[in-house]
Amino acid sequence: MTFDWSVITDNWQRLLEGAGITILLAAAAMILALPGGLLLAAMRSSSWSPVRGAATAFVEFFRTTPVLLQVYWVFYVLPVFTDIRLSAFGTGLAALALNVSAFNSETFRAGINSIRQGQRNAGLSLGMSTWQVMWIVVLPQAVPRVLPALASTWVSLFKDTSLVSVIAVQELSYVGLQLRSQTFRVLEVLTAMAVLYWLMGYPQAKIVDWIHRRMKVVE
Amino acid sequence: MTGMPIIEVTDVSKRYGTVEALAGVSLAISRGEVVCLIGSSGSGKSTLLRSINGLEPIDGGSVLFEGIDVHAPGTDIRKVRQRMGMVFQSFELFPHMTARHNVMVGPEKVLGLPTAEARKRADELLAKVGLTDKAEVRPAQLSGGQQQRVAIARALAMQPAVMLFDEPTSALDPETIGEVLNVMKRLADEGMTMIVVTHEMSFARRVADRIAVFDHGRVIEVGPPAQIFDHPTVERTRDFLSHLGWGAASVPQS
Repeated sequence: MTFDWSVITDNWQRLLEGAGITILLAAAAMILALPGGLLLAAMRSSSWSPVRGAATAFVEFFRTTPVLLQVYWVFYVLPVFTDIRLSAFGTGLAALALNVSAFNSETFRAGINSIRQGQRNAGLSLGMSTWQVMWIVVLPQAVPRVLPALASTWVSLFKDTSLVSVIAVQELSYVGLQLRSQTFRVLEVLTAMAVLYWLMGYPQAKIVDWIHRRMKVVE
Repeated sequence: MTGMPIIEVTDVSKRYGTVEALAGVSLAISRGEVVCLIGSSGSGKSTLLRSINGLEPIDGGSVLFEGIDVHAPGTDIRKVRQRMGMVFQSFELFPHMTARHNVMVGPEKVLGLPTAEARKRADELLAKVGLTDKAEVRPAQLSGGQQQRVAIARALAMQPAVMLFDEPTSALDPETIGEVLNVMKRLADEGMTMIVVTHEMSFARRVADRIAVFDHGRVIEVGPPAQIFDHPTVERTRDFLSHLGWGAASVPQS
């Protein structure tokens, strides 16, 4: 068995570009999924049952079906039902953002519910609206509490971006798998991909650990 | 001390499942009056207090505040609450804000005061409750008594017409109860209208204009402290007070 690393050294630029797309995709998906999650969490605590029901159905669907299926679904089925036609990147981004929104909404909901009723009553008794109570009193306390959970979701999201390679988004996995089928250097390419993911993922995991440690002491 | 009633509670009822928390309570409070609500735990005093500013929905009867029906569907409850300060048993300061910010947030966000003005008002009130040096401190670094004094300042910052106190000293260490009661006494002396749910009988006796005794969701006796403590007309009042060592026979103080 001989290794030939030239496949990597010759194509490092393509791999780095792929890694860049991976980071961009994950970051964009999370940026959309934070307000998305908040919106879903707010909808689920609505006093209007159709709003509550729709949000619950959405969240349960995205939490209980495979991300891979969701990616395919947004790619193949969504354009049939609607006029929405997205680029491969847009499709991948939409699927991931919707999925992570569902998870974030559960995280936010847990955080919001962890703030005791007395805090809300204190805000209400000052004459605040329910919106003001949420923004001024509840969320500033709830968000730090759920930061560790949000960070864990981010790490999962980062790895799940590899799934959108199936719809030809040019992120790291897609680039790697392309190289593999063009050169047949399976060992070298997969190893290089693993190293690149690890190099990006390890610092994130350390940061998440750090957040967990920092946030342990609450109140 | 009489005047026109600022709060009129009429035949208010409230049930939790099969439990009758309030069974037709009526009580009128005049401007400038201090009324203490006493009675055993679960007798409905806190429920009544919370129904006065609409935190607790009621099943029947009405609460009028300055002539406005607090529980009517068309009432802007936020406007009502802006004119009623509330102080809670467990303080409920906002833990992510400094003491000053806690006091500022109502005037600034609810009344729309400019930040500088809200800040000035907050600092004046912190001085009034003796906590000028704690303005920059978070609630977690304050003692219970200090937290409750900040909470009183926070409520006063809205310049309310009435202050509602829900067992303000029940969660405090004995040595810090006095500092909170002193602040409340001072407020009463300045003519603030106050409704105080309390187990501090010596405070009630000293400060209240009238005392309402609660039992099983009803007001069983209302009267000035001298009557309630020395000549209670209702058997249950006597029982309740004697359990606390305030039997009419023991006649403590004055």
